[in-house]
Amino acid sequence: MLGYIDKIREISKRLLDEGRVDMIIGFRKGTIPMMNEPCFVKNSGELSTLVWDSNCGINLANYLTDRKEKIGIVAKGCDSRNIVTHIIENKIKREKLVIIGIPCKGMIDKRKVAGMFENGIDDITEEDNILRVKSRGVETSLKKSDLLQENCELCIHRNPVIYDELAGPLVEEQKDVDRYADVRRIEAMTAPEKWEYFKDLISPCIRCYACRNACPLCYCPTCFVDESRPQWCGKGQDEIDTRTFHFLRAYHCAGRCTDCGACERACPVGIKVRQFTSKLNKDCLDMFGWEAGLSPDQRPPLDTYKPADPGDFIK
Amino acid sequence: MKVIKIDKNDWAGGIGKIQSSYRLYGPVKGDAFHDFKALEKGELPDLNFFNTRVSPKSVVYPQSEVMFEYSLDEKDAEHHILKDAAKDYSPKAVLGIRPCDAASFLLVKRNFDTPEYKDPYWIRSYEATTFVGYACNNPCSTCFCTTAGSGPFNEEGLDVLLVDEGDCYYAKVITSKGENLLNAAGWKTEADGGAPDKIAALGKEAGSKIGSSVATDQLKDKKTTELYEAPFWEDVSFACINCGTCTYLCPTCWCFDIQDENSGCSGVRMRNWDSCMFPLFTIHGTGHNPRGTKLQRVRQRFMHKLKYYVDKYDNGIQCVGCGRCIRSCPVNIDIRRVCDMMNSYDPKACACPAK
Amino acid sequence: MEHMGVEPGRLSFSWISSAESTKFVEVVKDVTATVKALGPNNNFKKAAKVA
Repeated sequence: MLGYIDKIREISKRLLDEGRVDMIIGFRKGTIPMMNEPCFVKNSGELSTLVWDSNCGINLANYLTDRKEKIGIVAKGCDSRNIVTHIIENKIKREKLVIIGIPCKGMIDKRKVAGMFENGIDDITEEDNILRVKSRGVETSLKKSDLLQENCELCIHRNPVIYDELAGPLVEEQKDVDRYADVRRIEAMTAPEKWEYFKDLISPCIRCYACRNACPLCYCPTCFVDESRPQWCGKGQDEIDTRTFHFLRAYHCAGRCTDCGACERACPVGIKVRQFTSKLNKDCLDMFGWEAGLSPDQRPPLDTYKPADPGDFIK
Repeated sequence: MKVIKIDKNDWAGGIGKIQSSYRLYGPVKGDAFHDFKALEKGELPDLNFFNTRVSPKSVVYPQSEVMFEYSLDEKDAEHHILKDAAKDYSPKAVLGIRPCDAASFLLVKRNFDTPEYKDPYWIRSYEATTFVGYACNNPCSTCFCTTAGSGPFNEEGLDVLLVDEGDCYYAKVITSKGENLLNAAGWKTEADGGAPDKIAALGKEAGSKIGSSVATDQLKDKKTTELYEAPFWEDVSFACINCGTCTYLCPTCWCFDIQDENSGCSGVRMRNWDSCMFPLFTIHGTGHNPRGTKLQRVRQRFMHKLKYYVDKYDNGIQCVGCGRCIRSCPVNIDIRRVCDMMNSYDPKACACPAK
Repeated sequence: MEHMGVEPGRLSFSWISSAESTKFVEVVKDVTATVKALGPNNNFKKAAKVA
């Protein structure tokens, strides 16, 4: 994916020079291994800061919400699906955007890699499918495809679903992926086991709301956890309040989540927050044949009524 | 200065002994990382760590702390009267705190313990605590403590400094509080005369391994208004998602919010950590928010740590260089970069159009 | 809801017209009986605050 860099800069230069966009939203090289920082460039002289590699897991659609400028945005498959969702939900206008599509081969799971090196990581370089990790002077080569974020491993929409430009040839989509093995494992539990499972899952939560804020779907002017009249949810470290937050956050993403993994990537204490949303994604697929953000012309199942909608739960 | 030698074979036994007179806290490994936790009887701190994910500030200053309790039941003779919540200020000790984190308590103390205002909860909790530090022989790549007023063998804020020396720990006694703890543990063997030199040598070696730094020398002389108006804030704040990771993980962030929580006819008044990254932090009752944009909030965090604090206390920056915010920021906003931008900012040299 | 550990039976949906008073009564009786049989919902009860 490194080959995309030159192409991204070339396209961006053209867009800025021709005045088609006011700014480009992309990534610049991070200051620590396995991190890049979302950034904007308004001046075509500064395009050399733009980079692309397997550490661009943050969903850039999050930076589009309610912006008024004409924007060129670098978008991998999941980002493009969230752009579609943004368009459907009137958070951005299609004609304001020039989408620079990135055919994606998956992002590195920074925690998985960090966990392999007890002495910390000084530097990582990447070349096709090879990661070279330097830790205290020792270099180790790893296969990138073994170290992808879980949502990337399970991804079947690596190519952008809408784009105006492409940073490289489309990649082959993964086939025969068992995307919901984790959900089925939880479905098989009894109610008290499920309760305990999620209790353990969120026990390290510090209520920093990184999962919510990294998510392009979470753009409410005031989130329900921040409401004070009425106060839906306590602000302390009470386990039930924390659970209420995670629980409702997930529900608000039902039928909208693209499984981009930004929430899980952002969590400072490594909670697998996708365990909440995956079930809703699976249900949407099973009940409505729906995957979010595939086309700007389709209304989401939860805001449309069809006579064939499943209704067995209504007694 | 006295140095005690603790044979690693006597480590567990000593900890067992002090557990009857101290509530102990130490680094404990969860699934993937270490955090400071209360140690159960017989549980040992796991010193095989770089630093904990969340800082140990919660040992003295919990994320949620009940201050008062009250009853709303009018049949109750003392209804609607705030009563102090029961608190435990018996002695406690933190084992294995890193020197940067220990230094952070002194920094926070400047806020919670002033001639005019004294925070009774923080001060009593702090005074009940003995800090047993653990020197960093191998600092992380994101540590910049040596240029942030601390260091891998820094003793400020500590009562004892432990130094790993192969099959023993050297315990450098810094205060009488520290000496009492060592006595209670039965660790009394004085190290031979070469120990202080050895500690100094190890400290020097560790210091030289710190590869990362910040320049802070110019911050004090910069004009506050010029820094405030600097054009770089848009670039700095763009990536920020306004989560509370940096402030909640930070050992020196001290802000809190007070909440009443009722359940039926009784309730508590509690305080919870708050974060200047949240819009809710500054919103007024009217709905007006003086810090309504992300740029303003990000600027506030850095201006507070690197300018307002510097000017107010004349004692360096409000940061000890632990690097937690750098390691855990979901979008890689790096305080070292911002600090350097602020430190070297020259409004005249900036070619950006005035806004 | 059940997926996240809420006991089955605590949540129910019904479609009742304003003319179907008998159905309404039946449903309410049914739901209250089921919930009563389950007992108090302790899962979502906050533990008493300890300082």
